[in-house]
Amino acid sequence: MSDVFTVLRREFLERVRSRTFLLGTVLTPLFMGALFVVPNLVGAGGGGERTFVVVDQAPAGVGDAFVATLTAPPPADAEDAFTYRVERVTTPLEEARAELNRRVLEEEIDGYVALPADVVERGEVAYRARNVSSFTLQRDLTRAATAAVQQARLQAAGIDGRQVAALMRPVELQAARITARGESGGDAQSTFWLAYISGFMVYFLVFAYGINVMRSVLEEKTNRIVEVIVSSVRATHLMLGKILGVGAVALLQVAIWIALGALGVSRSEMMAKRFGLPPGSLDVLRVEPWVLAAMVGFFILGFLLYAALFAAVGAAVNSDQEAQQLQTVVFLPLIAAIVFMVPVINDPLGGTATTMGMIPFTSPINMPMRMAAAAVPPGQIAASLAVLAVTVLFVTWLAGKIYRIGILSTGKKPTLAELGRWLRTA
Amino acid sequence: MDRALILEGVSKRYAGHTAVDDLSLTVPTGTLYGILGPNGAGKSTTLRMVMNILIRDGGRISLLGADPEKDRAVLRRVGFLPEERGLYRKMNVTDVIVFFAELKGVERRHARREAGRWLERMGLGEWKGAKVETLSKGMQQKVQFITTVLHDPELLILDEPHSGLDPVNQQVLRETILEWRQKGRTVLFSTHNMEQAEQLCEHVCIIAQGRKVLDGSLKEVKRAHRGNRWRVALEGPSEAADRFFADARFGPAARTADGWSVELSPGADPRALIAAVAGLDAAVTGIAREEPTLHEIFVRHAGGAATPHRVPEAAHV
Repeated sequence: MSDVFTVLRREFLERVRSRTFLLGTVLTPLFMGALFVVPNLVGAGGGGERTFVVVDQAPAGVGDAFVATLTAPPPADAEDAFTYRVERVTTPLEEARAELNRRVLEEEIDGYVALPADVVERGEVAYRARNVSSFTLQRDLTRAATAAVQQARLQAAGIDGRQVAALMRPVELQAARITARGESGGDAQSTFWLAYISGFMVYFLVFAYGINVMRSVLEEKTNRIVEVIVSSVRATHLMLGKILGVGAVALLQVAIWIALGALGVSRSEMMAKRFGLPPGSLDVLRVEPWVLAAMVGFFILGFLLYAALFAAVGAAVNSDQEAQQLQTVVFLPLIAAIVFMVPVINDPLGGTATTMGMIPFTSPINMPMRMAAAAVPPGQIAASLAVLAVTVLFVTWLAGKIYRIGILSTGKKPTLAELGRWLRTA
Repeated sequence: MDRALILEGVSKRYAGHTAVDDLSLTVPTGTLYGILGPNGAGKSTTLRMVMNILIRDGGRISLLGADPEKDRAVLRRVGFLPEERGLYRKMNVTDVIVFFAELKGVERRHARREAGRWLERMGLGEWKGAKVETLSKGMQQKVQFITTVLHDPELLILDEPHSGLDPVNQQVLRETILEWRQKGRTVLFSTHNMEQAEQLCEHVCIIAQGRKVLDGSLKEVKRAHRGNRWRVALEGPSEAADRFFADARFGPAARTADGWSVELSPGADPRALIAAVAGLDAAVTGIAREEPTLHEIFVRHAGGAATPHRVPEAAHV
């Protein structure tokens, strides 16, 4: 078995010493960090100050209430709230319209709202702006106008508007995930991102390093290096050393990222402050150690599964072009796992997610997604890992047969039927 | 053990044709043994079966006393240079050599030291830290040769070792092979170049279309094929000699570059010819029995259809 280690060592060192590895290891966490930080900074398309003119023809008090509601400071945890500056005019809309339209077009103001004299009876308010597509803006304006008009109606009916408002105060939905350690912070959005990134990272790494194994096999085959190697090493040992060597590189990269992530989590309050994130917004990264271990387990087994298949593809073909046709067969299940990503994250404990989590060809990607999004029962995780592990052993055995024959065959690309014959004869 | 390699009735069949057909040969320990034959004769297939790269369909192989199919460890005592050369292009020269040595069971530090020594010897000392792809083709061939011999194998198997080498490097290769032979090691190589084989081999086995044509020590083979043909060398053109040979008194004669060649009938005593030639009014510079070339022997056995290519290898660095 020392020859397996010799092969492993070469594959590992040649890759770790390369510039690609260094760049990939450094740039990926930067990119992922940006995915987390930038939306928070930019505020998902909202935020900022808006200036409106209120053309107030409404009965006394309605305009005051409208402005008061609109300019009230937004709640501290609102992520994409606008703040409003309001200018009030009392000239009739017909007289002011031309001047207001000019100011809107010249971007002096963002728009205007006209409260007509019969607003309390008819319940209609005119809103004009350069663009009227922002839901947040429309929601804020509607809410302010509704509040003002309702207050006037209640008053007319002899009811104390403030008392009613206190009684009718809406309920706020506070989302938090239940995990084995108790509740943890993180709203729906950041949980989605974590699940998405976990699953996508596994997909990306399995794919990228799987292709790496294939290219490495192909290089040895086309350069005929393999003839020298298999005259001193068993073909299966060569394949094993190669897969493990490339896998060790992937694992090193993941370990570096996890260490960086752990560092980030341990300084999460400081980091949140520095990047202007609300406190606790990085809490979503606080994954329990055993969950993390299981995720890494899925990654390792997933890599082994696909690496064996990619190795077989690399051995069966003679060139990159031929490889591209055959590798499609291998990464179809990988694509399937990505296609089912949204249903899996939206309902991580539902039927689709559970099924995708048990199929060994999709579980390496879909299980980490589910585990990031929800508390998946440990029994399911264990069962899925077990199924995957058995599949890895079986598939590696089959791939080894194709590999053994393939690396020494040259000439025409084998058809699938011929590959089947190889499996039977080897 | 006095037999480095024994093949008995070895064959390899592919769908449609038989690459090697019931081949038997014996390579004595400590000799330079050549497997000769035209392209496609089955030389590489045979060597690959010996190295257990290809699985034989039948027959027995005893490599250094073991069957390589059952006892793979024996392959570590063999150095193999495949016909189609290849190294990891992106790797550093020393690392490549050390890697292949390690696969053969050489300890890493020892391999590193030996790699440096061999590179110096091959005139590649300055290139030990360079990437393989920056080396010329000839240099890469030398590096590959080092990977073949660094683990100090008892048997060296070289498949077409001369191909792709320029004359200078062919000379380096020849010296290294002869040196190996001096140390009492066995060298087995294949070639389609009969002249090269004639210069280097002690034993030969000629194969054509997967079958053995003949084998034995080069001397025996030549003696067995020696006819009763005599070469008479003259200092210059001589009318007396021309008249003498045109008579065909001793047998059919043919003009050569420097004289005449006479085919005596088998078993005829050459002394009569020698006496007659001595009496000619011509400046005779030599008279000797003609040795057949390997090429002639080959053509006689394999027939014109399988004439080996005698085009010299393209020499490029």
